Amino acid sequence: MSVTVEYSIGELMAAVMSRQLRPAEVAIMGAVSALPQAACRLAQLTTAPGLWFIAGGSGAVNPHLEPLVASSCDERLLDADAVLSLPDVILVEGRGDLIDVFFAGGLQIDVRGNCNLGPVGPWSHPTLRGPGGVGLPFVVRAKRVVIYSMSHDRRTFVERVDFVSGPGFPAGQLELPGGGPSLIVTPLCTMDFDPATHLARLATLHPGVTLDQVMEATGFAPILPAKLDTTPAPTPEELSILRSLDSAGLLRVGAGR
Amino acid sequence: MLLSAAAAIDRLVPEGTRLLAVGGMHMHNNPMELVRELVRRRRGVHRLLTSPSASLAADLLIGAGLVDEVATSYIGFEHLGLAPAYRRAAESGALTVLELCEAAIVHGLYAGAGGLPFAALPPGLELSDVSSANPEHFHTITDPFTGERVMVAAPLRPDVALIHALAADELGSVFFAGAHFTDRLMAMAAKTVIVQVERMAEAGEITAQPAESVLPGFLVTAVVVAPRGCLPTASHRAYGYDEPALRSYLKLARTEDGFAEYLQVNGMAAAGVTA
Repeated sequence: MSVTVEYSIGELMAAVMSRQLRPAEVAIMGAVSALPQAACRLAQLTTAPGLWFIAGGSGAVNPHLEPLVASSCDERLLDADAVLSLPDVILVEGRGDLIDVFFAGGLQIDVRGNCNLGPVGPWSHPTLRGPGGVGLPFVVRAKRVVIYSMSHDRRTFVERVDFVSGPGFPAGQLELPGGGPSLIVTPLCTMDFDPATHLARLATLHPGVTLDQVMEATGFAPILPAKLDTTPAPTPEELSILRSLDSAGLLRVGAGR
Repeated sequence: MLLSAAAAIDRLVPEGTRLLAVGGMHMHNNPMELVRELVRRRRGVHRLLTSPSASLAADLLIGAGLVDEVATSYIGFEHLGLAPAYRRAAESGALTVLELCEAAIVHGLYAGAGGLPFAALPPGLELSDVSSANPEHFHTITDPFTGERVMVAAPLRPDVALIHALAADELGSVFFAGAHFTDRLMAMAAKTVIVQVERMAEAGEITAQPAESVLPGFLVTAVVVAPRGCLPTASHRAYGYDEPALRSYLKLARTEDGFAEYLQVNGMAAAGVTA
């Protein structure tokens, strides 16, 4: 008899993101990154031993994350295996060959994996002035880009972003120096990218989510795969690790099951 | 030289300063006492340059109407929300936003610090819309070594930089603790550097770890001692950010009246302060 363990959407997303990481890879993330940080620490302790990760503007390399903190520049992150200066982090991002996985996000995310953290609407008089993309232009140099968003609605998932902060797959002949977006993780589903067209393709639905729900909440029509799987729920081991990191409950957001 | 915040701002930040750089990252190490003094004096600057991720310092200066143009790659409050005054000023068109990315800021400051004429950026950065939105700052040239097209960014040489560090000594050498973000680099690129510190250094404190965490006194114009002066932002290795106070700012600053109330309550209401 299987035991059902309750989990939050944040915990499910952290578990999904952790399974994207492989042993000894190098991952990087930016602002508001408690979720990918938890995913990286979980991966280090499960499927990706030897993973390195750089926690945003703090420059912390492999922060120990007990506890997980909300701000990417919190001094508690400096309890880490090493600390790079912020200018050094920008050098590492520029080299490109060093970064395997870049965790990205946006106020708007489109069908090609472009992310916008800048102006929504006209650039000179935006209807919503987003904060700005910081290092998102660097995603083009990473081997894989994993996009995450805590919102899944038509304001966020749009046909075409109003401003490209972090480029996805370009239309036409332009080529990316890196590998481009590989996965989008939302509170409802995961999407990957069709290798032929480089357009977003629905990959898995989270437990309890219907296809109609996803289509209703998405401002573009993702490619539908022949077979649609259910996202594997976090295992008891994954949940136990995540909860040991997260005494503040930062991941206990969103109704899961 | 050791100055009060009032004297440092009065003497070293002229009205209409062409390029003012303000340090700190997110809600950490913002030199708030210096920023509050700018607001008290209603000292306007032409262009504000932020660190790659600015927060309260930039939002307060913008909200007080003291900034014509801002060159930035992020102004916000991470998990606490968007920057209310920045949003209002940018969405109305009252504020000119010069889009930058982290690379243009950091490599631009390297260029400013080292006397390089401009900064060549890693290939691929031209694929974002940052350079299209800010054509004055970026150009595409031919790399003389490879013949490839390469995007270059303008050097950043702030007229004045306001930064925070933990401590300073009598010679003006300052000592950073925790992360120094882009503050050290910003200071190295600027012509005039005002450093807000928590306290004076203890004997031998700076010489104990001189290699990475020190800015020598010849790069520092003035030191201002302001204990707990970064609040409500954090000061690494001294105190954390005051989340209720930041939330209270974010709530009030949603409207112009609320913003004015915030200034009133926090001692920044009236102009005409004497040094």
